[in-house]
Amino acid sequence: MPCQELVELVTAYLDGALSPADRERFEAHWGTCPGCRTYLAQMQLVVGSLGQLGRREVGENGAERDRLLGLFRTRGLHARGPRERSVPLGIASEFAAPGDHISYFWESEPEFDAAAGFLAAGVERDEVCVLLGHGDANSRVLAGLERRGLPPDGLRRRDRLHTVSGQQPVDAVLREVGDRIRSAVDRGVAMVRVLGNLGWEHPGWPAEGDILRLEARVTDAVSNLPSVVMCAYDVRGLSGRSLLLGGLECHPLTLRRGALRRNEHHVPAEQFLETLALDAA
Amino acid sequence: MSSGANALGAGPTSAHAEIGLIDALRQGDEDAFGRLVDQYHTSLRRVARLYVSNRAVADEVVQDTWVGVIQGIWAFEGRSSLRTWIFRILINHAKTRAVREGRTVPFAGVGADDVGGPEAAVSPERFHPAVHPTEPGHWTSPPRDIGTSPEGRLLSREAGEQLQKAIDALPPNQRLVLTLRDIEGCSTEEVCNALGIRETNGRVLLHRARARVRAALELYMGRE
Repeated sequence: MPCQELVELVTAYLDGALSPADRERFEAHWGTCPGCRTYLAQMQLVVGSLGQLGRREVGENGAERDRLLGLFRTRGLHARGPRERSVPLGIASEFAAPGDHISYFWESEPEFDAAAGFLAAGVERDEVCVLLGHGDANSRVLAGLERRGLPPDGLRRRDRLHTVSGQQPVDAVLREVGDRIRSAVDRGVAMVRVLGNLGWEHPGWPAEGDILRLEARVTDAVSNLPSVVMCAYDVRGLSGRSLLLGGLECHPLTLRRGALRRNEHHVPAEQFLETLALDAA
Repeated sequence: MSSGANALGAGPTSAHAEIGLIDALRQGDEDAFGRLVDQYHTSLRRVARLYVSNRAVADEVVQDTWVGVIQGIWAFEGRSSLRTWIFRILINHAKTRAVREGRTVPFAGVGADDVGGPEAAVSPERFHPAVHPTEPGHWTSPPRDIGTSPEGRLLSREAGEQLQKAIDALPPNQRLVLTLRDIEGCSTEEVCNALGIRETNGRVLLHRARARVRAALELYMGRE
């Protein structure tokens, strides 16, 4: 092996990334060439000195450390009690907390369109958006994003917008939404927004009872994930039962007339599912 | 407390210990979180500064990173090491801020990990040509002696400054890879994972960065 080749392979050699044949050629030459021995030793010296630089520069973070511990105490998703509402909803001037599951009752076209604003606010903050809705609702939401200067194709290419199909069993829907959140977090994304326009009585979608079971389980499934899930409820188009059981009883929070409120009518999942089973029987 | 001041250099936490740590963080164990801060805070600040020039902005990026860790820990699946994940969150926030500040961002855009044109670790003038009759590609001007012990001259304050100067003079992509790999002690795989670049390209950049630093030190220390 010529010296000129060896000097280019030093890092791969130190990483153990050379092929056995190259490694053998490398070592054979190194053993006989003082110049290359010096070169390798100097590269190791550089690596060693850089490591020392890192260790030497560790400072005390006393006050900073206490402040961060405070953040851990108050912002951690393990904490019980009400969470700090730190996520701007993009609707009116309301803020949600990570892990929230909100029902959004809409009647008019501008009210429906405001839900696209919920996603747009996320894009603005470099969050990831997930769309779980029937075709008609989704295309209107996407048009709303486009109008806000956020072409959906660009968002998709940048992994900022995903669509989850509702035309599958509810377990699969729930798992896919969770996977989308987890994979975004894995990439270093801070928050995921999910907008639901569930396909009640739409072809291919689960039956009403199953959608209700899905809604009931979402609350706990996302409560400790860095996400805000908002389900839009079409007040004029949906049945009273869907609105009451799905919209009202399955969501700890409601958004109506631009105000986010804690919902006293929310029924914990276990109790809700029990009642649902009794009703069916 | 972790034993080393900077446990980053001590290699990654074992997979078993890491599962225990993740679980402790999920349960709200403040000591565990405090240890994590001790371990990574200085490193995060250093890497943030490679993206944003302003110290206050860099500190905000680091704080956002910690909030990301605090709130994301339940969703973290351990597909990468905890350290890689934390750096990935940092890089994500830092990129956003850098773009907002109109700064050039390392590894951004299409073909982001393109290593650029050829770059020799050692100037070709220091070797015989490849067509040389007896010693093709062999040293004509071998490396000058600069000592080989880090405990020696390199740790003097002046030499430390030279080292820092050599790092600061690196092209941004090379500097970032070198910082994560050699100063923070991540593995090449972890670095490439955190930056979202291919391992072969990451290693090329790392090699070029080390070669440039070595050349700068040779020039400085071999000058007498």
